[in-house]
Amino acid sequence: MAKLLLYLTLATSLIPLFSVAFSPENPTDRRVLVLVDDFAIKSSHSLYFGSLTSRGFQLEFKLADDPNIGLQRYGQYLYDALVLFCPSVERFGGSIDVASIVDFVDSGHDLIVAADSNASDLIREVATECGVDFDEDPAAMVIDHINYAVSNFDGDHTLIASDDFIKADVILGSKKIEAPVLFQGIGHSLNPANSLVLKVLSASSSAYSANPKSKLSNPPSLTGSAISLVSVVQARNNARILITGSLSMFSNRFFRSGVQKAGSSIKHEKSGNEQFLTEISKWVFHERGHLKAVNVRHHKVGESDEPAIYRINDDLEYSVEIYEWSGTSWEPYVSDDVQVQFYMMSPYVLKTLSTDQKGHYSAEFKVPDVYGVFQFKVEYQRLGYTSLSLSKQIPVRPYRHNEYERFLPAAYPYYGSAFSMMAGFFIFTIVHLYSK
Amino acid sequence: MARSTGKDAQALFHSLRSAYAATPTTLKIIDLYVGFAVFTALIQVVYMAIVGSFPFNSFLSGVLSCVGTAVLAVCLRIQVNKDNKEFKDLPPERAFADFVLCNLVLHLVIMNFLG
Repeated sequence: MAKLLLYLTLATSLIPLFSVAFSPENPTDRRVLVLVDDFAIKSSHSLYFGSLTSRGFQLEFKLADDPNIGLQRYGQYLYDALVLFCPSVERFGGSIDVASIVDFVDSGHDLIVAADSNASDLIREVATECGVDFDEDPAAMVIDHINYAVSNFDGDHTLIASDDFIKADVILGSKKIEAPVLFQGIGHSLNPANSLVLKVLSASSSAYSANPKSKLSNPPSLTGSAISLVSVVQARNNARILITGSLSMFSNRFFRSGVQKAGSSIKHEKSGNEQFLTEISKWVFHERGHLKAVNVRHHKVGESDEPAIYRINDDLEYSVEIYEWSGTSWEPYVSDDVQVQFYMMSPYVLKTLSTDQKGHYSAEFKVPDVYGVFQFKVEYQRLGYTSLSLSKQIPVRPYRHNEYERFLPAAYPYYGSAFSMMAGFFIFTIVHLYSK
Repeated sequence: MARSTGKDAQALFHSLRSAYAATPTTLKIIDLYVGFAVFTALIQVVYMAIVGSFPFNSFLSGVLSCVGTAVLAVCLRIQVNKDNKEFKDLPPERAFADFVLCNLVLHLVIMNFLG
């Protein structure tokens, strides 16, 4: 019996080792909690969920008002990412509330929020915490009388075909999204005080946000390209958030539907939704644009050991390796704009690192003629990439007293004068004493 | 008045020379020594102006050794001058011993700073 118990304890203690989850070495999210209003979404949006499960995500579907849901247990998060496909929920069940979602993001986890027209105050509050504000009118939708999608089921031009993407390959993938993306839902604006939130898909300049059922009596509060349809946030802790005002853009109906933009003769067989949302969820779930820096080294030119201290005017070489996570492995990151700073209160040296195209970056420079405690700093912040912030402290000492040059030819006249003064003193002493 | 300027200057020069000729030999030797030190200092300043101030500590010690020597010699001259009533109680041997001691200290410092 005791033996059995021992085996059982051993087995349970090993379970965490086998389960894959987000870690610095393996930064893709694995366990995803999907909160839905009702389980019909599971089948009506199955193409999107299918693309996630086929990439290895473990999706756990729960009703948003399920009393047993919780993001963490015993202080450990149960999930790496949270998907809120529950635009109309008034109150989450279990222990989830806005504060716990914010804490979830603050501890580095990812979030996808899809609202819809008639989005609840709760979802709006979550969005506000993330730096975007949905149109306050609950019945408002984004309307565009010029860039709508031609279809046979929509007469009020709320089905928008948008192709105004952010120009960032890291977020949307290197393959160009050819077909416009179908969108039907509520628009939002970015909080100007929040510098981390980015518009990924913005409405055209002819769009506005209003209630399509009623007559437009007042000028709409949100108009033109200030309306964002899909936004992303990368927090300072590299947590990523996707916010959109349309749940239906994830649906199978929109994925499969053809799209023809009003006024355009090109009819695309398939809308851009699938490609767009697949690529952007790769970004959100850290399958792309996640950098790591390893092997930070520095040494004097011609040596290989890392010294504990440098002397002023030493020539040194600094190198670092930067890799990007591709979802399955670390690939070399190639760029020509990585810079290193030799920093003490302000950068004394700022140098662009040269790369060997295999992820290895290096630069040679001369230690400035200033001594003190310096830092090697790499502050690399690029749109869509996780930020790299490396710093390594290194003291710099002045010359030792015996390291200065001596007997300089240029100084010989000065030496000569000093010695001639001594000789003069000697002779003068004799002359002064013996001349009477 | 203006015509006689050249003659006046000559007369002044002559009176100075004759007055200086009456100066004791000891003081004349000291004057020569001071002149030598000042001249060496001037040469070094000119040299520094030509080649630049790179071994600046050497330049400073070279020039300061000359200036210091000159200043000490002038001090000695004041003290051993018989006409100077201020130091009439001070024996010239004591003044000379002070001079030697100060010079030793000066040259010790100069050698340290010469680099």
